Amino acid sequence: MTDEIDFEVDAEDLDQVATQKEVGEPSLVVDDLSVTYRIVGGGHAPTETAGSLLRRVVGRGRRHVGAVHEVKAIRNVSFVARQGEAIGILGINGSGKSTLLRAIAGLVPSSGGSVYSVGAPSLLGVNAVLMSQLSGERNIMVGGLAMGLSPKEVNARFDDIVEFSGIGDSVYLPMRTYSSGMAARLRFAISAAATPDILMIDEALATGDADFRQRSKERMDAIRDHASTVFLVSHSIATVASMCTRAMWLDHGRLVMDGPVGDVTAAYAEFIRAKHRERDAARGEQASGH
Amino acid sequence: MTVPPSGSTRSDAGPTSAALVPPPLENRLADAPRYAALHGLAPVGTRPPLRTYVRDLWGKRAFIRVLATSKAYAENQTTYLGQLWTILNPLLNAIVYIAIFGFLMGARAGTENVIAFIVVGTFIFRFFDASVSAGSRSITGNASLVRSLRFPRAVLPVAGVLAQLATLLPALVVMCVVVLVSQLVPGMGAVPLGWRWLLLAPAVGLLWVFSTGCAFIAGRLVAVAPDVANVIPFVMRFVMYGSGVIFSIDSYVSSESSPALYAILTYQPVAVYLDLARSAILNEPSITTDPVTWIVGAGWALVALVGGFTYFWRGEERYGRD
Repeated sequence: MTDEIDFEVDAEDLDQVATQKEVGEPSLVVDDLSVTYRIVGGGHAPTETAGSLLRRVVGRGRRHVGAVHEVKAIRNVSFVARQGEAIGILGINGSGKSTLLRAIAGLVPSSGGSVYSVGAPSLLGVNAVLMSQLSGERNIMVGGLAMGLSPKEVNARFDDIVEFSGIGDSVYLPMRTYSSGMAARLRFAISAAATPDILMIDEALATGDADFRQRSKERMDAIRDHASTVFLVSHSIATVASMCTRAMWLDHGRLVMDGPVGDVTAAYAEFIRAKHRERDAARGEQASGH
Repeated sequence: MTVPPSGSTRSDAGPTSAALVPPPLENRLADAPRYAALHGLAPVGTRPPLRTYVRDLWGKRAFIRVLATSKAYAENQTTYLGQLWTILNPLLNAIVYIAIFGFLMGARAGTENVIAFIVVGTFIFRFFDASVSAGSRSITGNASLVRSLRFPRAVLPVAGVLAQLATLLPALVVMCVVVLVSQLVPGMGAVPLGWRWLLLAPAVGLLWVFSTGCAFIAGRLVAVAPDVANVIPFVMRFVMYGSGVIFSIDSYVSSESSPALYAILTYQPVAVYLDLARSAILNEPSITTDPVTWIVGAGWALVALVGGFTYFWRGEERYGRD
């Protein structure tokens, strides 16, 4: 995925405005949270090691044997989220948006700081990989149970999930035969079947056509009525602006801005435009060099 | 688009993007733990106490069951023969060993019916081997599941072994049929059908418990150091040849010449479970089991389960990090 997607404004999203709800008690406290990924087998950038031949050979060997690379994905992030808030998380690729959600959900261990929440935060994402060899029907059961529903509850919501995903009878075929759009819609439908205390959505709304997006938004609003707090990570400023009441801007794993959605999206959009200009300028420079 | 002359690229472009990024917020609460406690918030991502963990795991039993049967079913989904492979696989495996060890090498010492001996050995050992291997992949092989949904991670090794048990059960029926048919082959000893065949069920049950314990240990080891996954097959190969899966160890190591080694080879868990399974359905005078063997088998199962589970639980908050 490229940066370009970040600032493409979709006209269909513009007329929607997030429904403001009353902001209540704190539902989530993030205190000085840091996350460091340990990547086994990840190579370092090749460095010019001066010195003896031995050191150079060893230095080069380190990239292939015993290579462990640490990436600081989240650095000292603190904030308090309240009930009734819909919080959008903005940032360019690799700024730590998804990692932040995963750390809040307790899926990725933190390397420092702590998270406190009411109930169990649930991460809803199109990235949640189901079992591709199995039918959609089977995956609905696996996914539902994993989210904490009982088999009875999953059966009760089965028709609803299939209808919402709009995949029809394909639900009985193995998921490996699905198009990526169908799979993403089914994942979203499964995840949206449960109503958790804190709902976190990762890139989910980028999938599907306008009709599916509209249904997703309705479903999310419904979930928001039950869930106390909603987090949304999206590449699209327009999506965040239309669905959220508050926004956060992450840059290199640091929280650099947190406030009403209008202020943050405006500042972030300006940053993206500047980035865009720079890239164009760099391209121009390259072109004139030839 | 106008191409700016080189050298003056950024003069007309306004502030650079880096300059537009505000400095990191300094908004840390003075006393977050107290603030959280005041509003009834609980810490996330910490390892629950053992008792709570066991209760959570029990609460996920429907998930374990569905995950296990789905995994077992998915394994052979992409072949024409489909689920038939759950019995063809161990059968072919047994045929290879019977052909090489039973007939080509003639390693029949200490066995009356080498076909039945090897079939039971390979079918039973294969379950253990596959269980440990499934356990070792339980975290690394389900990374995306681990990273998107929160549940007690012990679900994964338990389901992995249960999936193997689900594939073993139909295979056991085939195993019993092969054992019964084998006595018709000239030179093979008789294997009378009897009530003691029912003892196969508790023997497999104990092995299942033991395998689950081993799967917990393998799961955490591989999650911490993925390299271990490369070593496990060799350990398994070593255990296979050291446990008399395809030939009778008793004929190579005697209790007189090396009593210590003999005791280890006889009472090590895999050998115990093989003896229990064989004594249930075979008619081999060299295999003698008494209540002590059963007690030893139950002991190993308990030790492995409790030890493995505790070991796995202690790593709970770290899974999904890589």
